[in-house]
Amino acid sequence: MKKIVEVKNVTKCFGKTTAVNDISLTIKKGSTVAILGPNGAGKTTTISMMLGLLEPTAGEVKLFGEDPKQLTVRNRIGAMLQEVSVIDQLKVREVIELFRSYYTHPLSTEELISVTGLHEDVLKKWANKLSGGQKRRLGFALALAGNPDLLFFDEPTVGLDITARKNFWDKVSMLKTQGKTIIFTTHYLQEADDFSERIILFNNGEIVADGKPDDIKNNISTRSVSFQSRDKHAAMTLVESFEEVIHCYEKEDRIYAVTNDTDAVLAKVFSQGLPVKHVFVEQGRLEEVFDLLTSKQKGVL
Amino acid sequence: MHAIMTQCKFEMVRIFRNPYFVFWSLFMPILFYFIFTNIVDTGVTDEDEWQAYYLMSMTTFSVMGSAIMNFGIRMVQEHSEGWSAYMKLTPFPSWAYFASKMFGQLTIHLLSIFIVFLAGFIINDVSLTASQWIFSGIWILIASIPFLALGSLVGTMRKVETASGVSNVIYLALAILGGMWMPVRIFPSFLQRLAEWLPSYHFSDGAWNIVQGASPDWQSYFVLTAYLCIFLLLAVFIRRKQEA
Repeated sequence: MKKIVEVKNVTKCFGKTTAVNDISLTIKKGSTVAILGPNGAGKTTTISMMLGLLEPTAGEVKLFGEDPKQLTVRNRIGAMLQEVSVIDQLKVREVIELFRSYYTHPLSTEELISVTGLHEDVLKKWANKLSGGQKRRLGFALALAGNPDLLFFDEPTVGLDITARKNFWDKVSMLKTQGKTIIFTTHYLQEADDFSERIILFNNGEIVADGKPDDIKNNISTRSVSFQSRDKHAAMTLVESFEEVIHCYEKEDRIYAVTNDTDAVLAKVFSQGLPVKHVFVEQGRLEEVFDLLTSKQKGVL
Repeated sequence: MHAIMTQCKFEMVRIFRNPYFVFWSLFMPILFYFIFTNIVDTGVTDEDEWQAYYLMSMTTFSVMGSAIMNFGIRMVQEHSEGWSAYMKLTPFPSWAYFASKMFGQLTIHLLSIFIVFLAGFIINDVSLTASQWIFSGIWILIASIPFLALGSLVGTMRKVETASGVSNVIYLALAILGGMWMPVRIFPSFLQRLAEWLPSYHFSDGAWNIVQGASPDWQSYFVLTAYLCIFLLLAVFIRRKQEA
């Protein structure tokens, strides 16, 4: 499969702070990739470098095997940035027409309008006087104007209501079936889990996990045994000493023992006669993986 | 090419939709022209000559205004609102973007010249020979380029508020001290000497010469070219520094 995006040992520093620290990744044609991570993890910085808006301090970024700043590359990409900025004194329809003229093989205005669901009355409005949701739609239309092979969406659904959000993802799924490569950033886990084939998890400017959503969930142990106990301190000390237990924490009056082998932990808990009640065995959710990977317990990797 | 044409077209549409442009570059010069050639008694002996002279003053005033204010402030606005960054994602090269803006702006100058000339013709029945109309028009169009360079210098400022404040002051100072509002000959002598170093004075002076049957002085060519170079170099230098 062809590599559409290649990031090699890229570092970006702003003054003394390192926003992105020596990351490498490649993205194949036709894949949908979520760049996930908490605020300030380096997602937007990475996207900006992929787009050629920021120059890496060290390392190299290539799109379609070329410098992202090449006009031939730009002719094949489309992007919706966090802040949709719009030119003034032009109507929505005119901005779309202007943008289409920049590309060699633009989508027709009708197609753009139908894909983004911009209504006739919105098309007549001043582009810089749209509501937040309408601005997003226009941003989406502008990203698609050149019928790009590679699309970037930086936090595309922030500030959208549930219907608009669903709408957006429906369109993205449609673009996916057309074979487009899609890269989006989000801090909503559910979106990354639902709409991507691959999650690249960022934290503190580094990639802490990279793989299929299911693999990420499975590879990292988040199964746990939890219980309540009268003598929490003693119970915790004992459970922590089990070799199967990766780590142990207390939350909402329950003690959680994270492990790969819930059966063994359960057997030990009962064989050692711990005074426990309300025992649960839980399979981790992606949120927990996320918390785990982006919190101090990075060591489990 | 299609992209450049479309960009030019929309740049012009945007300028005409800008109320400040319509007010400062069309309404005000025409109003001033009407007032100072019809209402205020300026005590001039040769009425016809004054009407033609002042028409040139007001046309240059109009064109200089849109060059400094419109062009410069737009650039600041597009920069501060992230539009310029967004443009970098498109395959439309930045030189083409800049060239389209320049070309669009020059076309607007041509239209402004035509409209103000027409107003002079209608209001005062100003009569010049065909070649005087044409050459003064061409002079104003071409000699407006140093002011576009000044506009792009304004365009390097970071905030729209600063840019519009500063360009307003420059614009009015250049207009008044350069003799666009009232002739330099009624100024005290030190101001007359100062005017001879201002681009605005030479901008108008070239047109005044043409309507009086002469041609622009070589000093005007020289001063305007010098200012063009200074403004351009400064603008490029500041941009480089900002991008570094």
